[in-house]
Amino acid sequence: METPATLTTRPENPKTQTSYVRIRLATQSDVPHIHKLIHQMAVFEGLTHLFATTESSLSSTLFKSPPFTALTVFILEVSLSPFPPTQPDPTLSQFTPVETRVILNSPIVDEDYETFRVVGEECLDAVVAGHVFFFPNYPSFLSKPGFYVEDLFVREPYRRRGFGKMLLSAVAEQAVKMGFARVDWMVLGWNVNAIKFYEEMGAEVLEGWRPCRLGGDALQAYANK
Amino acid sequence: MAAAAPPPAPTPTPAPPVEHQLNPTPYTTFVRIRLATPSDVPFIHKLIHQMAVFEKLTHLFTATQESLSSTLFNSPPFTSFTVFILEVSPNPFLIAAPHLTQTLFSPIVTHVNLDLPIEDDDSEEFKIVGADGSEVYVGGFVLFFPNYSTFLAKPGFYVEDLFVRECYRRRGFGKMLLSAVAKQAVKMGYGRVEWVVLDWNVNAIKFYEEMGAKVLQEWRLCRLTGDALQAYGD
Repeated sequence: METPATLTTRPENPKTQTSYVRIRLATQSDVPHIHKLIHQMAVFEGLTHLFATTESSLSSTLFKSPPFTALTVFILEVSLSPFPPTQPDPTLSQFTPVETRVILNSPIVDEDYETFRVVGEECLDAVVAGHVFFFPNYPSFLSKPGFYVEDLFVREPYRRRGFGKMLLSAVAEQAVKMGFARVDWMVLGWNVNAIKFYEEMGAEVLEGWRPCRLGGDALQAYANK
Repeated sequence: MAAAAPPPAPTPTPAPPVEHQLNPTPYTTFVRIRLATPSDVPFIHKLIHQMAVFEKLTHLFTATQESLSSTLFNSPPFTSFTVFILEVSPNPFLIAAPHLTQTLFSPIVTHVNLDLPIEDDDSEEFKIVGADGSEVYVGGFVLFFPNYSTFLAKPGFYVEDLFVRECYRRRGFGKMLLSAVAKQAVKMGYGRVEWVVLDWNVNAIKFYEEMGAKVLQEWRLCRLTGDALQAYGD
């Protein structure tokens, strides 16, 4: 394509400003997109020197356990057409894909539209706009599981339209459905936009805690201790 | 771990296998780190409560023995929430403890040579009497579970709780527990061991840095819980 794709209008419906959004579980075929999204997040956070992920390391680690029992990934897709209906899956701990519509006040200009496009059989033509990685944790004071959100990322052209809130809300909704007690995550202290967004969602930023990390050579040294 | 240990003495003769007696002092204390079982729940419950007291967070403590029993043992060790118990004893632990060993993990046994005895006022509450009449005491625990680093595309372990009872502190037991988790992470090819620390806990911060961990000053913990979380259920 010569020009970046613009979401919100189609030749036959120039006045349409509705986009359809779906949040669903990731599958192996999403790995190339997930890989690029993680890299984009590393760039955003100024942490590319820590980025060592490959598509094959993702493929071999992301799908080892049933959803919500361990690491789980939600993908957020945006499309100009409604998504085809999905059959409810009774094995999925009461999760059904979240489908909603958003009215966009300004067009989304996505220069990477082709890179993140998802084309499926049943008239599916969508673009991956973001993802969220999360897994169960265990607040021992409550002795009930919670979810820890490892990554929440929305691609730059899709920001400030509520998609991050939709992804985090989907995790929170799943936590409530499963009787979980908390949803936790980390934020960089300088990320004032994110902090404001999280507080508006009802989260508290707990100032007193600092993460500790044992990794690399310092961790390897424990092999023989 | 046993930083001041002298070179090992020759192995003493016949079975049963016993840990080497390494120049014991009158107050040598033997230590074992093993996986918790459901019968440890009463101890785990008390230890978590003591930790809530230490962290001044008892207003958040609602765990019961039943809630622990029903959530802690639903999956094989290391695939989900996992607890190591640290036990102490005046007598050596058997190294070969087949009922406690499983494919991925064998109990860790060691000892510390102390100059003074440990005075445990709650010893009765934390005593485990073995089938052979042996008495050991629960000194602490660590609770951890797998997490995931997207930058490494590898699992790691997240340490939720690390706690040593007050009378057992400053003897290296916390380091033993955290080292056991680190060693298991390396054994399983995991990328990191992570946890959080309260920024006023200067003793803990020093201990963690001495172990090789980095405290990441720029991150803050966010939490959605209680009514604010329940609101998302609709």
